[in-house]
Amino acid sequence: MARQKTAESSPVESVVSGGVDLVEWYYEKGFSDGFPVVPPTPEKVAATVEALGGDADYVEARVPPRWGSLTREVLAINMVMAGCKPDYAPVVRAAMLALCSPAFNLHGVQATTHMASPLLVVNGPIRKKLEMNAGHNVFGSGNRANATIGRAIRMILLNVGGGWPGDLDKSTLGSPAKYTYCIAENEELGHLAPYHVEKGFTEDDSTVFVMPAEPPHSVTNHVADDPEGILDSIVSAMSTIAHNNAVSAGHCAVVIGPEHAAVMAKYQWTRHDIKNYLWYQATNTFGDVAFQHRYGKVYNRSLPKWYKRDVDARIPVVPSAEHIHLFCAGGEAGRFSAFIPGWGHMASPVLRELNGNAPAGGGMVCEDGTCYL
Amino acid sequence: MPLDAPKTGHVVYDPRGIVETTAIPLGKRVADLNGLRLGILSNKKWNGNNLLRKTRAILEDEIDFADVKFYEKESFSKNADPGLLGEIIADNDIVLTAIGD
Amino acid sequence: MHDAVSLEGQDRATAIIVTTEFLHEAEVQRDALGMAELEPVVITHPLSTLSDEEIGQRAADAAEQAKKIWLGKA
Repeated sequence: MARQKTAESSPVESVVSGGVDLVEWYYEKGFSDGFPVVPPTPEKVAATVEALGGDADYVEARVPPRWGSLTREVLAINMVMAGCKPDYAPVVRAAMLALCSPAFNLHGVQATTHMASPLLVVNGPIRKKLEMNAGHNVFGSGNRANATIGRAIRMILLNVGGGWPGDLDKSTLGSPAKYTYCIAENEELGHLAPYHVEKGFTEDDSTVFVMPAEPPHSVTNHVADDPEGILDSIVSAMSTIAHNNAVSAGHCAVVIGPEHAAVMAKYQWTRHDIKNYLWYQATNTFGDVAFQHRYGKVYNRSLPKWYKRDVDARIPVVPSAEHIHLFCAGGEAGRFSAFIPGWGHMASPVLRELNGNAPAGGGMVCEDGTCYL
Repeated sequence: MPLDAPKTGHVVYDPRGIVETTAIPLGKRVADLNGLRLGILSNKKWNGNNLLRKTRAILEDEIDFADVKFYEKESFSKNADPGLLGEIIADNDIVLTAIGD
Repeated sequence: MHDAVSLEGQDRATAIIVTTEFLHEAEVQRDALGMAELEPVVITHPLSTLSDEEIGQRAADAAEQAKKIWLGKA
């Protein structure tokens, strides 16, 4: 059956008169995320297409909910508009392929009334090559790679995916993470094995991790000098009925700041120890999650059927330790970590090596150099 | 095909990408609802089951269905499992379902 | 809408209930999937916070629309 192109299509490239203010032109066309864009030029687009491997018409993915075709040319256009260098192309492409995989459920993430936005965490040598920030202000501003890689993804979700606020993006509140939400893990400190090594990749592999996420919730602890004390503060941030994990299960992330991570390393707590402690201790009562049945008897089919539905039963915030995705990032001054709630069971995080290769270890889980069989 | 850069104009770009579709015809309609098998697919969203149950009750007051079966998706946001869809197709003539909040 | 398109593709006439807030998204999806003739059942938003009686009213509305969709009279 012939594929038809809809009337919504327009030439990718056209010409306007030399007197036009291009920054305003892209605003007027509705192609901006609210910030001024970098007007693409044929040279910049061509350089980015080349970094993607050439073949400008090659369709890398179709982006929901509009299902626009993300050709390499369109990907390049959005990257240039976001302010990316061509070198960033492998990371942006890998992230988009991860986001468009069925497990991630990008359609749901784009359309939800929740504020979830894809969090991107980059691991491996590519971080250094692109001069990404894994240190101070890692979730904040000031680094071109972090800022523009995250922005390029959002521009694609807007322009190609059609996820415009109030239209197909029904997020009630949104969040600043809908401008850009990209960090690198601070692997160099060595307090924890890198995230991608835990999942079976080598340190020389470069990967992207994507998860639909709320913004980070700061966890302050300037008192405890042992792992349990620090982790109890993170547990406190997790053990609330307010975030989406509490009512919809699913995955979450925890970012341990370097000063806190140094304490973990001092007491030889591994990733396995940390994740299991957090999972086991972070609970709510079912009664709290069900509002004590004040608005009618609640069962909540979004929670696993094996959670006890007694009002006094303590139920975990996430179903298992493997639903907690642990990273070390941030600057070496300051005793802070962060809890990052996810969207819920409706989506799965995705980890992807830049070229789509599987872990050499055959999928074994290797943490801190020890591989679990 | 890229255009030659004009001497006095600016090249501008559409960042949206095209939407390609393959036209699929709507399924056959039915002439009479009596005697048909109705499948109801729930997405488990809050109040969704309640709405579907009440809709079923109203329909059953006036229509003599041969059978009514109730199904639940794994998750309200994802597509139904292909196996579940196959089961619904095999055992029903018409379907009622719901999405959204 | 993906489920509805799959079911309709196998000649299982499908009445899919959406609330007004999600109608545009449903139409975009069915157009992108190629089944532009698929009409949903539309009820007033919201649903998740309604009382039992209010849900009953939505159900009555949905039942009437569903019959027309199955019979091709929408």
